[in-house]
Amino acid sequence: MTHIAMPIILVLLAIAFTIAIQRIGAQGSATWPGRAPFLGGGLPETHAWQRFHVRYYPMAVLFIAFEMEMMFMYPWAVVYVETGPVALAEMGMFLGILSIGILYGWREGVFRWQ
Amino acid sequence: MSLLSALARGAEIPIFAATGTRGLALVERLARRPGLRLVASPRHARVLLVAGAVDAAHQRALERLHAQVPPPRGTVWWQAPPLFARGETVAGDDPLPAIRRAAMANDPDQRPDVPPHPWQGMGPHGQGGTGMMGGNPHGRPMAMTAEDIRDGLALDAYTARFGPFLPMLPPGLVMDLTLQGDVIVSAHVASPPFDQGPEGDRPAPCAARMLRLMGIGPRAARARGALLALSKGSGTRRRLSAWLRGEEVTETPEPLPDALPGLEWAEAVLWLASFPPSRLRAACMQGQAA
Amino acid sequence: MIAATLALLLALPLLVWTAAIFDRIGTGRGATVLGPLRSGAALLLRPNTPTEAPDRLNRLLAPGWYLALALVGLSVVPLAPGIVASDLSTGLVLWGACEALTVVVVFLHGWSPNAPLPLIGAYRYVAIGLPAMLLSMFVLIGAALPAQSLSVLAVVEAQRDLWNVVRQPLGLPLFMALGLAITLRGPFDYADGAELAGGTSAEESGPALAMWQFARAAMLVAFSGMAATAFLGGHLGPVLPGPLWLLLKTLAVMAATVAAGRFFARMPPARMLTLLWVVLLPLSFANLALVGVTVLP
Repeated sequence: MTHIAMPIILVLLAIAFTIAIQRIGAQGSATWPGRAPFLGGGLPETHAWQRFHVRYYPMAVLFIAFEMEMMFMYPWAVVYVETGPVALAEMGMFLGILSIGILYGWREGVFRWQ
Repeated sequence: MSLLSALARGAEIPIFAATGTRGLALVERLARRPGLRLVASPRHARVLLVAGAVDAAHQRALERLHAQVPPPRGTVWWQAPPLFARGETVAGDDPLPAIRRAAMANDPDQRPDVPPHPWQGMGPHGQGGTGMMGGNPHGRPMAMTAEDIRDGLALDAYTARFGPFLPMLPPGLVMDLTLQGDVIVSAHVASPPFDQGPEGDRPAPCAARMLRLMGIGPRAARARGALLALSKGSGTRRRLSAWLRGEEVTETPEPLPDALPGLEWAEAVLWLASFPPSRLRAACMQGQAA
Repeated sequence: MIAATLALLLALPLLVWTAAIFDRIGTGRGATVLGPLRSGAALLLRPNTPTEAPDRLNRLLAPGWYLALALVGLSVVPLAPGIVASDLSTGLVLWGACEALTVVVVFLHGWSPNAPLPLIGAYRYVAIGLPAMLLSMFVLIGAALPAQSLSVLAVVEAQRDLWNVVRQPLGLPLFMALGLAITLRGPFDYADGAELAGGTSAEESGPALAMWQFARAAMLVAFSGMAATAFLGGHLGPVLPGPLWLLLKTLAVMAATVAAGRFFARMPPARMLTLLWVVLLPLSFANLALVGVTVLP
């Protein structure tokens, strides 16, 4: 419990510092034209909030697969030297299978933007 | 507080440059002057600098920019007739003294303080009404769904007039863009870019502008990586390498409403920046005449 | 612990100032040393403009979250044998969490003003930041292998005979790519780039902008400290005291990162996405395999 106390204290310090600094300046330009979004002089028709489709689904699946591998590798790194070459072979197989996933995703055009 | 004021007195003055006719060469001259800094957004600026004549059709846009510079603000019209009665005019070659005076000034607001749309709808914040996100909450409607050109999903489309003084677009180009995410779905040119004259087409500043959009300075050694960074299809790489060799580019772009849809924002901006200003202006005016 | 925390908090503003000085060197703007202080003071005196219908809480807190992540990341760096602000046995995991949450924080910073250019910057950054985090974790696990532990103290101790930059030569360059991404710099600056007129910062002014830039520089300091610890041996060194070595190595990594940010061009995001997943990530696997082979007795 005490181990996590210091990070939490630092987080609270940072937040307090930021709020304090931002209260220094006056809250200026509360006029409507001053608050319009910057479009180089143009006008928007709607609010800016919209749902982006960044084609996450295939890339997200691949990302989650690698995240789970990373979770597995945290304890693996600690016991690696004791376990010896068996650990290297296991991790090599895991990484190889996931790399085939990257290759498949590349061929399928998962990493293209449009 | 007095320590802050003392420190701030010697700071560089942040300027937002609204570029007009023949203004690109003027602004390039200011880029390396000590004591001032060209910023990308009017909200980071203290002084609005209008460099080069702006025709009266864009007066409203300039007024909006003026309002977006947070007060206290100053205005300087450099080799440009003033379109509204704020700030001072400089006809010569050196705007620096006028900029310094403007940095002490405090212009009053130019635009009236009214909300952009009248509040409509049924609820207390203007929400409610037809459609999934109807009404005008906080003065504007929400973005409604529309077909996505890539795979037919119906997601939100954002339409806006991207105005004449965006720092990453050619100055003067006004486009009505519909974006889905950051991919351009449709583009319509409302006003062509300003005429920059023959100095606007020179290879070195044109290359420097493109490289600045990619985040690096204009030295040729680093620009080798810039060529690799661009994608091959649209000819952007070919034109940048011509500029880096010191040759002028003579290609004319195809009409913008045909070329831009399907491009994502950074690619579209780099594509537009890879044409010399005179050719882009010719293509836009041709598109408007047709 | 408390002493280390106090030392870090006292040193942080000076190191942030140094980072700002490094940013100015070579841009030809002059006033290298006092310039950042003057610009910061001028920004603090400007007003904080609101936008039309912002997400107010996140707009206020986003720079604070970013600074908090930088501080927590810096706190796992040991200053001397046994002296560290956050005494965790899994310091590397905490650092990884700070990196991953940076993606969320930058997204919130771009989402909150309710304006198109910041929103585009936020979404682009998420798509690029996620694979960049993976890259760094494989490289750091390679640093943990010789130490047989996830504690940063043990990682430093394991470098007494050989620095990690020699054991895994690809590790430091790949980690610096991540450093450019989490400090929104250079080729990975998809959130605040020039082609978006300032991106997520386009609608900010005054103290909020000053805090965001401060937090960015603090994240650079934290990243440099972590890179110096995990790859360059941290506080180990012959003649000078430990913390001084750490400071020198941190400054060296900071200068190298700033220079790398100015050297490489920023690709359109689709190309960078392909580069990350198809080239850099397999390179990090190869790097890990190399370390795995050399570490086995």
